[in-house]
Amino acid sequence: MTTRPEAPLPFDIPAHPSNDDPRVTLEEQLGVWEAVPPFPPQTEREAEFYTLRDGEMLINIGPHHPSTHGVLRVVMKINGEQVVDLDPVLGYLHRGVEKIAENADYHQTISHLDPLEYVASLFCEWPAVIAYEKLLDCTVPRRAEYIRVLSGELLRISSHALALGFHALDLGGLTPILYSFIERDEIVEMLAALTGQRMLFNYFRIGGVNGDLNHEFMSRLGDWMSRAVGQVEANMTLLNENEIFVRRNRGLGTMDRETALRMCWSGPNLRATGVPFDLRRAHPYSVYPELDFDIPTREEGDALARFLLRIDEVKQSLRIIDQCLHQMPDGPVMAKLPRLLRPRPGRAFAAIESPRGEYGVYAISDGTDQPFRFRIHDPSFLHLQAFNLLMPGNLIADWMALNASLDPIMGGVDK
Amino acid sequence: MDPALRRRLEGRLGDRMTGPVRQRHDETEIRIGPADVPEVLRALYDEPDLRFRYLADLAGVDTGTAMQVVYHLWSDTTPDWLRVIADGLDRDAPRVPSITFLWKGAEWMEREAFDMFGIVFEGNRDLRRIYMPPDYRSFPLRKDFFLPDDAARSPGAGIRQMERSHSPRDATSTTLVRRSKAG
Amino acid sequence: MALTPERPALDTPAGPERSLVGGDPSAVTTPIVVANGLWSADDPAAYGGGPAGLENAHLAEIERSGAAYRDDARWGALDVIPTKADYLLDLIRMNSLWPLLSGLACCAFEMMSSATSKNDIDRWGMFPFRASPRQADVLIVAGTLTTKMAGPLLRLWEQMPEPKWSVAMGDCTCSGGRYKRSYATIQGIDRIMPVDVYVPGCPPRPEGLIYGMMKLQQLVKARRGQWDERRVGPSVPEGI
Repeated sequence: MTTRPEAPLPFDIPAHPSNDDPRVTLEEQLGVWEAVPPFPPQTEREAEFYTLRDGEMLINIGPHHPSTHGVLRVVMKINGEQVVDLDPVLGYLHRGVEKIAENADYHQTISHLDPLEYVASLFCEWPAVIAYEKLLDCTVPRRAEYIRVLSGELLRISSHALALGFHALDLGGLTPILYSFIERDEIVEMLAALTGQRMLFNYFRIGGVNGDLNHEFMSRLGDWMSRAVGQVEANMTLLNENEIFVRRNRGLGTMDRETALRMCWSGPNLRATGVPFDLRRAHPYSVYPELDFDIPTREEGDALARFLLRIDEVKQSLRIIDQCLHQMPDGPVMAKLPRLLRPRPGRAFAAIESPRGEYGVYAISDGTDQPFRFRIHDPSFLHLQAFNLLMPGNLIADWMALNASLDPIMGGVDK
Repeated sequence: MDPALRRRLEGRLGDRMTGPVRQRHDETEIRIGPADVPEVLRALYDEPDLRFRYLADLAGVDTGTAMQVVYHLWSDTTPDWLRVIADGLDRDAPRVPSITFLWKGAEWMEREAFDMFGIVFEGNRDLRRIYMPPDYRSFPLRKDFFLPDDAARSPGAGIRQMERSHSPRDATSTTLVRRSKAG
Repeated sequence: MALTPERPALDTPAGPERSLVGGDPSAVTTPIVVANGLWSADDPAAYGGGPAGLENAHLAEIERSGAAYRDDARWGALDVIPTKADYLLDLIRMNSLWPLLSGLACCAFEMMSSATSKNDIDRWGMFPFRASPRQADVLIVAGTLTTKMAGPLLRLWEQMPEPKWSVAMGDCTCSGGRYKRSYATIQGIDRIMPVDVYVPGCPPRPEGLIYGMMKLQQLVKARRGQWDERRVGPSVPEGI
């Protein structure tokens, strides 16, 4: 086809030829601001949201805001200080990863997935490598699986520590974030000794991992486990009994089981509502069936429950790390695969339990060396959808606490 | 790979499926037509021996000849993922019924499929763009949208000036110039 | 796959029927190039031409007359001679550069990591990450800039009062990085705003960012990168 047929849009962009120069087409100036309220409203929900009753007002939070966990813009309809309704606007970090992945080799797509959930990048690579391994019908050596679990659980501890630190930071506590960053720095230096990078690790490979455990990593890990295990828990229980923290979070954003399942929630947010759904047990992958750990759940479903649940999960992760170190088998860390990968034409879906929930990758291969379609499913995307349900009736400052307790990462939300 | 699931699906949904049940590794896949989506998913949700209550993913796919919407579901009755492919959507005007009546969380996933492909989900109360700015003019993940070497020369650019290249080297005789209606 | 990737007309996003009125599409004419008016207020619609006709037309006047960009503490042509007062002012500025909290993506975490206990940029006076652009000196753009976010970021940059500097942290802001072919990102923030220091890396280590900030301090002290000399646009010459 020579031209691309325009798909019909629900609105039109007015443009007309210039009077003084026929080569120039002038468009109506649409500035960098977006009209609030958008007029005319395009959807039912927009019409409902942007219709203001008496006493209501629209304010805009973000995209640049200290507590939006990235660039999230929320248009709030408030009546006084109380929030009546919310309209989150995403896309300020949409980088087109899925499209870039369609133009990249299979190995290259793995590194493109790292910046999605950048605090927990190994969890972003993991479902992709599992999906590719399904397409290639290759088995991963057990030592590689154990290393994957070990590094993943370390990163889960780091991610939860950061989540809790940011939770406190958004409520005004400036100290716990510094403790969280100490934990994160130690863990991330360990992983840098293992993978070569502090943050966007690019460590998992199709068929295994990039390199075996080395002396530096083991010595740092040994130091950390002997010294800081109790420290991690102490850091994170700084706020358990802080009255201000508890009173601000108790009863905030209470979600019940049925609604959480209808909203397709997953991860700690879902388990805090009482549903014991953890992909490591519900749909086991890697070597999790051989490891012994519990699935912590809480019944209340409010922000405080999510906070405490993350602390419980860190304890379980420490158990898993311990078992991994004891049960680590010998062997290769990478399966023998050809350099140029051409998987069979087919489709594969894989989902793993990331610190935020179910992280899924659906890969379609057409037999060439580039994926045909590469779909990423991010859990934080769906957690943010529940703002409309959880916020009304609360105050504006409660939005910060709710956002922090849901722990979204905008890199993943916006892809 | 769960043969019992295959039998249950063929028994319950055999008349709606447009192809055989495919199973590979830990995934089971069925194909249906787009009009059957609400009934099939409701059947999968409600049937006591199917109980696919957890929607793991909702994706749009552009195969070049047609569009698809792919649903991934999980149930506690089977160790497999279930993949439901609603195949055969028209590439120029793709429409499929929405499943927001079953899972409210599908609303944003359908918005994303609309934003990236132009698939219109009938029944979604909030079908507007979610990632791209609301005045963007293309659907980026379609197969006829090509990534150039430099995004400023993208054929599907939006209308913002920063989405276009402005250096004289890139300008041609057909450069679209944006000027305000000043004066 | 059946689709052959024939390239459509690259510069006509609206299709051929909207791009030219009259004229021969194959004729090589001198292109009309309009400079990007987003950050300069030559565009008269910037303050007074908004959708509802905003009431701050007086701001447009100030912008147009250039009074907003004039630093009254400068002495015109004598600026080239730095005095002791200038030296002292530059020392003061260099040692208390307050960054604006503008972490967009992954690099933000390394920026925060450079601000926290282990690599502490409070040693250089940069601890208070201001939330408001009116109180900030440095805009450390940390993370990928998308086309949707570019507008707000430019607003932030314009809202920062002089003297201000900007640091492009991370590969995405320096040149587009791994998103060079993406349809939704700005390939390098120097396409839309002036940049003083580029800190490459994906993400740069906190030590790398600190090195970049120290370079910025040297820039401040040596009075290079003066705001009226700054050019917008990639500083790579044309043939490259």
